[in-house]
Amino acid sequence: MEYELGDSVQGLVIVDPPRSGESNMAIDEALLRNATPAWPVVLRVYRWDRPTLSIGHFQQIEDRKEVPHLSELPWVRRKTGGGAIVHDRELTYSILIPNRANYSVKGHNEALYRAIHLSFVEQLQKLGWDARLSESCACAARVEKIPSHFLCFSRRSPVDVIIGNAKILGSAQRRSATGLLQHGSFLLCRSQSTPELCGLLDAPGGSNPNHQKKLGENAKDFASLLEADSDTESSARVLDDWLEFFVATLKMGASQLFSINWQNGSISNLLTTGKGKTAPRTDG
Amino acid sequence: MSITPEQLRYCDSHEWAYVADKSAGIATIGISAFAVEELTDLVFMALPKIGQTVTAGSEFGEVESVKAVSPMYSPVSGTVVEVHSELVDKLESLSVDPYNEGWIIKVKMSDPAELDRLLDWDAYKKQCNH
Repeated sequence: MEYELGDSVQGLVIVDPPRSGESNMAIDEALLRNATPAWPVVLRVYRWDRPTLSIGHFQQIEDRKEVPHLSELPWVRRKTGGGAIVHDRELTYSILIPNRANYSVKGHNEALYRAIHLSFVEQLQKLGWDARLSESCACAARVEKIPSHFLCFSRRSPVDVIIGNAKILGSAQRRSATGLLQHGSFLLCRSQSTPELCGLLDAPGGSNPNHQKKLGENAKDFASLLEADSDTESSARVLDDWLEFFVATLKMGASQLFSINWQNGSISNLLTTGKGKTAPRTDG
Repeated sequence: MSITPEQLRYCDSHEWAYVADKSAGIATIGISAFAVEELTDLVFMALPKIGQTVTAGSEFGEVESVKAVSPMYSPVSGTVVEVHSELVDKLESLSVDPYNEGWIIKVKMSDPAELDRLLDWDAYKKQCNH
């Protein structure tokens, strides 16, 4: 990476429509593979066109049998590490930080995990949720050094975002010669495929009944709308609110590391020109 | 006899190479104590197969730690002649002794002159402490 704290860099935000698991992972792989030192930091926010299981790079697909219902889902392998995720009632992000030079550090980038996750803690707290990092909560399930659960949201690592005992945001990374890719999943509600895992909106004791913010009130509606499996105009509106919150919170998190000049863009332009739709032509 | 870090050549990316017998042209490859420390808790490692060719500066394997997958780059070009396959089930030995018990692969070099382009211990130490 070789950025210094506070460096000023270009950033590109891509809000993608729902796609298949193969497409979503192929796009993120292409981002990492094609990144050059002239690329902006790329924040991609996306959903999945049907409930899909993504498994960590080193996981064995046969192990999904440990968890009921997972065998019914289409699946795809991520390039990032960590455990399996059911992409259903959640929002996914990927952030790519291109290497500025031949940079060859090994291992995780703690600062990026922490900056993004702390941003969620802060913004959710503002909306009345008792969100915190796993490491700061003695009541959270034990933090595991060696993962024993197949599902990411059944595991705990120190910087996971939790509400009560429920993990609602987890992330994983991949390094390459071209850059650092971080994936993360923000769990909004329990999926029927993993009824044991609740999300932000249905975590026991999670939501604060006193919070007055519009987003918080809509959030409850959204939980019930999703429970009914409805695809209505109002659920779409509330989802838009959450997407807006998601993008803003991610941008704030990444901006804790660098001073980022964010612009909106598209995947196709980024991959063909290396600059995205509206990124300036003279950077780098 | 135990290998010490001073005897090795290093990549910028923290892999080491050791040639016990120049006439045999076989390099033993691993990752440095510095890299093992950076990686913290290693949980998975993927290794190449015997007979696979590797190229200096290209990936020959992968490791996962703290949910991050990182590549391992070969310091030299050649053919993999031995793989420390037991290592994947005892990754903790990398923390104990990355230069002996923690060796990863052995490569029959196609261009031993590549070794001269690697860092010696003093230069590598300087890079890690910069």
